[in-house]
Amino acid sequence: MLDTLLPILIFTALTLAAIGAVRRIRLWRQGRPSPVNLLKGLAAVPRRYLVDLHHVVGRDKMISNTHVATAGGFVAAAVLMILVHGLGLANPVLGGLLLLASTSMFIGSLFVARRRINPPARLSKGPWMRLPKSLMAFSLGVFLITLPTVGLLPEGLLEGSGSWLLALILAGVLAWGLGEMFFGMTWGGPMKHAFAGALHLAFHRRAERFGGGRSTGLKALNLENEAAPLGVEKPADFTWNQLLGFDACVQCGRCEAVCPAFAAGQPLNPKKLIQDMVVGMAGGSDAAYAGSPYPGKPVGEHAGSPHGPIVALEGKALVDADTLWSCTTCRACVEECPMMIEHVDAIVDMRRHLTLERGKTPNKGAEVLDNLIATDNPGGFDPGSRLNWAADLELPLMADLKQVDVLLWLGDGAFDMRNQRTLRALIKVLKAAEVDFAVLGNEERDSGDVARRLGDEATFQSLAKRNIATLSQYQFLQIVTCDPHSFHVLGNEYGELGGHYKVRHHSTFIAELFEAGRLSFAPWRGGSVTYHDPCYLGRYNGEFEAPRNVLKALGIEVKEMERSGFRSRCCGGGGGAPITDIPGKQRIPDMRMNDVQETGAELVAVGCPQCTAMLEGVVDANAEVRDIAELVADALVERPAADTSGTAHRPAATTTAEEVIV
Amino acid sequence: MAFDAIFEPIDIGKLTIRNRVVSTAHAEVHATDGGMTTERYVKYYEEKAKGGCGLCICGGSSVVSIDSPQGWWSSVNLSTDRIIPHFQNLSRAVHKHGGKIMIQITHMGRRSRWDGFDWSTLLSPSGIREPVHRSTCKTIEEEDIWRIIGDFAQAARRAKEGGLDGVELSAVHQHLIDQFWSPRVNKREDEWGGSFEGRMKFGMEVLKAVRAEVGDDFCVGMRICGDEFHPDGLSQDDMKQIAAYYDATGMVDFFGVVGSGCDTHNTLANVIPNMSYPPEPFLHLAAGIKEVVSVPVIHAQNIKDPNQAQRILEGGYVDLVGMTRAHIADPHLIAKIKMGQVDQIKQCVGANYCIDRQYQGLDVLCIQNAATSREYLGLPHIIEKSEGVKRKVVVVGGGPGGMEAARVAAERGHDVTLFEADEALGGQITIAAQAPQRDQIAGITRWFQLELARLNVDLRLGTRADEATLLDLRPDIVVLATGGQPFLSQFPEWGYDENPEESLVVSTWDILSGKVAPGKNVLIYDAICEFSGVSAADYLADKGAKVEIVTDDIKPGAAVGGTTFPTYYRSLYEKEVIMSSDLMLHKVYREGDGLVAVLENEYTGALEERVVDQVVVENGVRPDEALYYALKAQSRNKGQVDLEALYAIKPQPCLSEEGDGFLLFRLGDCTAPRNTHAAIYDALRICKDF
Repeated sequence: MLDTLLPILIFTALTLAAIGAVRRIRLWRQGRPSPVNLLKGLAAVPRRYLVDLHHVVGRDKMISNTHVATAGGFVAAAVLMILVHGLGLANPVLGGLLLLASTSMFIGSLFVARRRINPPARLSKGPWMRLPKSLMAFSLGVFLITLPTVGLLPEGLLEGSGSWLLALILAGVLAWGLGEMFFGMTWGGPMKHAFAGALHLAFHRRAERFGGGRSTGLKALNLENEAAPLGVEKPADFTWNQLLGFDACVQCGRCEAVCPAFAAGQPLNPKKLIQDMVVGMAGGSDAAYAGSPYPGKPVGEHAGSPHGPIVALEGKALVDADTLWSCTTCRACVEECPMMIEHVDAIVDMRRHLTLERGKTPNKGAEVLDNLIATDNPGGFDPGSRLNWAADLELPLMADLKQVDVLLWLGDGAFDMRNQRTLRALIKVLKAAEVDFAVLGNEERDSGDVARRLGDEATFQSLAKRNIATLSQYQFLQIVTCDPHSFHVLGNEYGELGGHYKVRHHSTFIAELFEAGRLSFAPWRGGSVTYHDPCYLGRYNGEFEAPRNVLKALGIEVKEMERSGFRSRCCGGGGGAPITDIPGKQRIPDMRMNDVQETGAELVAVGCPQCTAMLEGVVDANAEVRDIAELVADALVERPAADTSGTAHRPAATTTAEEVIV
Repeated sequence: MAFDAIFEPIDIGKLTIRNRVVSTAHAEVHATDGGMTTERYVKYYEEKAKGGCGLCICGGSSVVSIDSPQGWWSSVNLSTDRIIPHFQNLSRAVHKHGGKIMIQITHMGRRSRWDGFDWSTLLSPSGIREPVHRSTCKTIEEEDIWRIIGDFAQAARRAKEGGLDGVELSAVHQHLIDQFWSPRVNKREDEWGGSFEGRMKFGMEVLKAVRAEVGDDFCVGMRICGDEFHPDGLSQDDMKQIAAYYDATGMVDFFGVVGSGCDTHNTLANVIPNMSYPPEPFLHLAAGIKEVVSVPVIHAQNIKDPNQAQRILEGGYVDLVGMTRAHIADPHLIAKIKMGQVDQIKQCVGANYCIDRQYQGLDVLCIQNAATSREYLGLPHIIEKSEGVKRKVVVVGGGPGGMEAARVAAERGHDVTLFEADEALGGQITIAAQAPQRDQIAGITRWFQLELARLNVDLRLGTRADEATLLDLRPDIVVLATGGQPFLSQFPEWGYDENPEESLVVSTWDILSGKVAPGKNVLIYDAICEFSGVSAADYLADKGAKVEIVTDDIKPGAAVGGTTFPTYYRSLYEKEVIMSSDLMLHKVYREGDGLVAVLENEYTGALEERVVDQVVVENGVRPDEALYYALKAQSRNKGQVDLEALYAIKPQPCLSEEGDGFLLFRLGDCTAPRNTHAAIYDALRICKDF
């Protein structure tokens, strides 16, 4: 009986899965076109899966091993099952392999099941709670039906009279397993992640991320094409492979666990956001969502459709605007996502619509954008006052020199009294190392970072193009800046608009100067120090080492925070979040200063004007906030002359710490 | 950006100033050794430049000619090339920190004193004497005029060769240039007087000669008056005409404007407005000058607060603000604005201790900042944290000395507890601030309160510390700053009794603190002649009492400085307070419901009586030594301060000696009654090495 039943079950499941797949692909194809190389993409899947994706998953060894056993067992078992039981190749070798595969899968599913006992809050419940049982049903069913194939059970055991009941039960278990694993895969069950996930790897919109690459710059909006929407208004405005990416989500909630806005109680949960996009793509309400909601927003009140607006003009649609404006664009979610979903791209796409089409940038957003348009800086300062803080420094100007080694990009911190101290410190360091540098001075404009993250792509491109035109008049080997946002935008986002530069964060540059013996430091006499990785330096640009090397060169042993390096917690200052200022239960910088406090450090070294501002804004903080440039400038001593012994360490005669201050 | 107007650079001539804040010219007095700038002088200005000040104009009334009197204020002497290397030191020190520095140059004409040093003959256009210095002078001759014009040019050359950024020609405070301008002083009928052009001629020839000597790439400005406030003097309209006249030459790079002339005691008080004045009282006069000139205008006078400076600059009234006393109180004013530490700025309270010392020929010091002008001794404006052991420091007394001791010890990183018997900090400052127009002196306390809170000093207010309480804290160091009490018991005939019911006299503290209600007909006997007596008189009169203030000295308030007694006198005369001098308080007795005060003329011995209902006596302070003697024997150092170390600004030797028990220091009035500055200076120099 099973001999007859099994092929029917298997092929029925496969057929239904195929139909489901076509329907699912149709959902994705509602999105806008995005050209990909189909064959090359598909061919890249194994490597992207086994190397790149595993690199992310492998950060949690337990779940990584579980997944290898379960998924590896399943893929092998599925293929072998089709051969052995579907096509009747009842070969004992294949049968033996099938037993092994299903055993591996069963053991894996035990661990999956164990994880579902008291699961952490970040994991979605709902259908995901039945998945381990389905996995066990499938693996156990396959195992049992394969025992006779290898002769471990008499052939006739399930053939005899009275055994039909046993056979029926077995067929039922198997049908459950097949249903979850094949049918469910394409019809929206938890196993959808395998199908969409594999294709997402194949057709990822940032193929550069694979093979150890890094791709973090936002993609430019084509402002010339009048037919193209300005950003994403409705789910169908995403590109098809973005929709595919959303569908790959396994609802593991790693993004939720690292999202600073979620932790602060702001109405954002990256996992929920992705699930809402999935709901919108298929049409319906979020009532079935079984994970943590957006803080303060109960599940079941929002609904959407592929061609309906994501954010309602009035009332509620799929997502509320404050959810989108809560994001600091810190990329912690993207960095953690085992399915390599691009949350930040999606959020900025939706912000673009709100800003460009609706003019609905909240709170100070509109004012900042107006300022940028009118004055080329977000604060609305007189553009001619960009160098006011440096009137006594006699800074060399590019307009005078035309050609230098280092173009020092000041950033809009030039208007901020706190950052001016960092800039003065950096200039002191550059002068001490006798670096051939100059600044653009009043020719410099805001890099466009904030405009772009607030969705104002037009202002961003206008600023970028004019900056590129200015830079094109001069010759320099590299740009150095103490602002990671400028660093990121100039280095990673101007390229698409025709500006290609070698850009260095000041910590990288200082580390190089030290390596080259161009700087000497007095021994560190301060207290204990921790280091805060700025998102736009670390996660965005992979620079984790240089700042630490500089601190080491200063004689500082960094007391690392638990969340540091690629897992650094955002200060709350990115993505225009301080401007849109969405209320939560606590402030992100307060949480970050708590992280600092846990290390017991008396000083937190930073490398970003935004981080400095956010962390210094924390009331009653126990640690002092200093930019790396300030620490370096304070420690500078005259370099020992080449022909003398090492006794020449004495404070630089020409400058003092106070000078840096003022 | 807050304070953006302050931090907008400005070009004066070809010179770029990094911000809009100027330390305007004043006589430093500690300045010079025979007219040559000293290390003290250089460090004093270097500290301002280090602290971020945009432009320093040093050397108020620095002389260009050998016969301009210079000894009394220790002016800088630009009449010789010997000054050039000294200027080079000075300019290098200031430029190193990004600051700019100019010097005010002048010939004082008839101003200042002739009776000293070279016994120079003073000069004036018409030989009319100057009241403030009681000075007489000769009528200037044509030869003198041309000599002095040449001297101005040579002095400017020396400033330029010394690396300074410019000179400010003083045509204010009734120096020689504005003596020629003012019809009140210039009665000449030759080409140097009479008509407008005639009166302008001397200044014009000076300007031409200076400009010809230094060329275009050196700043030359003029400091002028906004209105002499004399009916026969120069009015604001006259000054506008004068400013426009010189401006039209294109030879002036900037104008500094001072409201008010100053050749009488009363107008002099306007020039450096004390705490009785409103903020920037003469800004309108400077703004009037700005209307008619084409170059930047600088204005000082009671601009003490960054918000005030920002508002003035933002309003466009003037181009640069002078914050001179503000910088004497805190030379790191600008740095603190930039550091976002506006609350940490030690703000000038207008006590005018600085300028009143200057008018007595004493070095300029700050009532509340003992480090100012002592930078050369190594006294720090920013107290560095100690690298030594953390100590338990207990300070007793929350007056200025105790507050400074607690602040300095806490800045050093120690664990500090401060006991104050009253419910609030301040000590005698709190009492002084009760008098009319004297409330701003409480700013001294306000700053300490903020600092002590920032430094987490454990404040035990309303707690009188006794020996047991102190020792329970197991202190490493005890600092006593317990002050003292009014000294009314000196003469039994005054009838003072500790029981207020029995006492025939009360103290100025009783009156000012409100402890004793004002009488209706009051006699104040003031043996001290400083602030307390006149403050109590003003207070009582303000409350409606009929007041006579009597002293055995030359006049009530005689020891109050030259820019402050006039504002007291204005108030006292207006309230019909009678001021009597040369009378000692012989005896007080009760008669019926009233009191009879018997006064004795110091010079004749004649007695006279006053029938009043209240007698207030100001006889200074008696130190409160009880706690000191209770602790002295137990302390490691027996309460002794090593004077050699103290005066050399070195650490007290006992700090580095091993031993059990605590160290004991006392300072301020509980050692010997002196003033606020003395208490703060004691505290700083003892505690800076804790």
